[in-house]
Amino acid sequence: MSLFWRTARRQLAAVFRKEVRQTIRDRRVMVLLVVAPLIQTVIFGFAVDFDVDRVPAVLVDQDHSDQSRLHARRVLADQTLRHAGDVPGVPEADQALDDGRAAAALVIPSGLARDLASQRPAEVQLLLDGTDPNRAMVASGAVSRYFGEVGERLIRERLEAAGRGSPAQVVLVPRVLYNPRLRTAPYIVPGIAGTLLVIVTTLVTAMGLSREREMGTMEQVLVTPIRPIWLLIGKLLPFLVIGIFDVLLLVAVGSWVFEVPLRGSLLVGAAGVLLYLISTLGVGLLISTLSQNQQQAFLGGFIFMMPAILLSGVMTPIRGMPGWLQVITWLNPVRHFAEVMRGVLMRGAGFADLWFQLAFLAALGAGVMALAASRFRTQIG
Amino acid sequence: MTRSPLLRSLLRIGAMAGKEAIHVRRDPRTLALALVMPVVMLFLFGYGVSTDLDQIPMVVADQDQSEASRALTLAFDGSREFKVVGRPAPEGIEALFRGGAAVAALVVPRGYQQDLLLGRKAQVQVMLDGADPVVANQVLAKADAIARVESQRLAGAAFARLQPPLQVKVWTRYNPEGRSALYMVPGLSAFLLAITAVMLTALAIAGEWERGSMEQLFASPVGRLEIVLGKLLPYLVLGLLELLLVVAFGALVFDVPIRGSLPLVMLFGLVFLAGMLGQGLFISVVARNQLVATQAGALSAMLPSIILSGMIFPIENMPLPLQAISRLIPARYLVHGLRGILLKGNGLEVLWPDLLAMALFAVAILGLATARFKRRVA
Repeated sequence: MSLFWRTARRQLAAVFRKEVRQTIRDRRVMVLLVVAPLIQTVIFGFAVDFDVDRVPAVLVDQDHSDQSRLHARRVLADQTLRHAGDVPGVPEADQALDDGRAAAALVIPSGLARDLASQRPAEVQLLLDGTDPNRAMVASGAVSRYFGEVGERLIRERLEAAGRGSPAQVVLVPRVLYNPRLRTAPYIVPGIAGTLLVIVTTLVTAMGLSREREMGTMEQVLVTPIRPIWLLIGKLLPFLVIGIFDVLLLVAVGSWVFEVPLRGSLLVGAAGVLLYLISTLGVGLLISTLSQNQQQAFLGGFIFMMPAILLSGVMTPIRGMPGWLQVITWLNPVRHFAEVMRGVLMRGAGFADLWFQLAFLAALGAGVMALAASRFRTQIG
Repeated sequence: MTRSPLLRSLLRIGAMAGKEAIHVRRDPRTLALALVMPVVMLFLFGYGVSTDLDQIPMVVADQDQSEASRALTLAFDGSREFKVVGRPAPEGIEALFRGGAAVAALVVPRGYQQDLLLGRKAQVQVMLDGADPVVANQVLAKADAIARVESQRLAGAAFARLQPPLQVKVWTRYNPEGRSALYMVPGLSAFLLAITAVMLTALAIAGEWERGSMEQLFASPVGRLEIVLGKLLPYLVLGLLELLLVVAFGALVFDVPIRGSLPLVMLFGLVFLAGMLGQGLFISVVARNQLVATQAGALSAMLPSIILSGMIFPIENMPLPLQAISRLIPARYLVHGLRGILLKGNGLEVLWPDLLAMALFAVAILGLATARFKRRVA
């Protein structure tokens, strides 16, 4: 038994050493595995901002009164809209939406001041470019809220003027936990980490092993006394190390550049990273056993990667998806990883809060790895 | 037999393209993956990407236990936007947030009903899990709207007699129902074209370097430029096929309109693809190995086409330096152009700057790539 383990360790170490040397020798690969994720995290972190603001808006003021000027100025002074010029009429506003100079047009029809003064119902119009539904929703929300408040104030004033006193009112006082300024970066950085790890582990493993198959070098190693299982583990280990290194790097960059907090249990975070990497490496291995060359391996990796990223809750909330799709996301390791990281980093969560996600990650990793390893062994055996 | 040199050159390019097309065809898995991928992605984007939420899980800590507080709870629970999933004590709320069971909590303080009866402003606290800002922003907006309706209900008779003095009428053009698919499909086309063109050419040509078959091709009477053009042609065709597939699928499944001209869509696709093929060629010449080519391609084409093109995240929200960088990303112009053509029915009179920018990029990168290519083989 001890002989068995000694041989095993020697074989594993030999393969590991060879793989590390091979990876390090091509300096470009190292740059791509380490520097690229770094650059991407920084760019992603700055580029991705879910807050919709500065929506270009043109103004059509047909009332030309003090009232209309006041309201227009106040609406446009709100960060959500950005004043992109005045146009004389609705056709010109349409034109501005058509050629993309503006995404919204506020139309104040003539007679607004007169109607308000004589207590007749008044109306302003908002033309929106609905191409981006989210932006349209936010812009219309901001304008409606502003005029809604103006309207409520008017009602109260009129009621008070009529001597009937102000009616009861419910006021919401928001208290935002974990991320009080609602910054996007602390939310998106753990997601980016998960995404980049798929690229540097799944894709690299799938292509690296397919390359060996293409070149026939795998067969050469198999005639040596090394057992397939140690060969396999030795080949995957370096990428596990690179993956862990990348996570540390990204968390460090996240906290320095984007002030991502680190509130929870590091141990739980580490467990999440390890289990996640086992499943992404397993998927890479599985893809390599399913493809004949590197091009196929890339495409296979890509077909795994895109749904995994899109359905992880990193880009858009999982709760916004249809129910059947939400069930499918349980099988997505990126989802669980992102939840663990977000929980640990931002919410200060521990094992009691995240055991479910960790259990899922472990089950997924074990399942995929077992499937891939058995395919790998039958293929080369 | 005297043929003009041009004709002979075209014949040789055709032969190269034929050879490459056979490669692609012999590898049906690659072909299938390249054509299945767009369909998969389209479904995911069409169904999976939506930021509009309903049934947001919320808990209520009711310390007032009055008729008024129960009415407020009911106003939230009865709405489409929220679902009350528990009634913990205020100290238990954070644990629910950490475990992800709820993302919002309503804390109704003691004296809520009293305040309302006295005509005072009754304050209610909304606690939010800010870890996901998209969800948090929606919770804020939706809770606000519900509270306003509740206020109006409480004010009751006094308000009912008054007509709203000021109303906003919203007209939404191009996408009145606000469907995400309409926004996503044009962006997705740009992304898919970028992937196919850059990655597949980079991999195909890097593969020839790796296997050493490129040197064999050089030994043939086919010129270097002819080799390049011939190799790129099949991927150009594949890319255009993908574009058609995505637009057709988008129109059939997600009712994405085609308000402008289809030939203009194809023209945009063609010019964009020329640039992307040039980029793929450039990467392959520099990388000469498929693994490096993939990573370089992912970094230089795939991710910028998602993040910096305006496909998902609006460009005008980015910091200025990144807005400037996004001007160098051809996908930005394709996304803008396709949205204009498909959704708004824009023609060249509006979109010529986009076409021009893509053409400039294509000329520059193809020139750079062929120069590198020539130097490399010389």
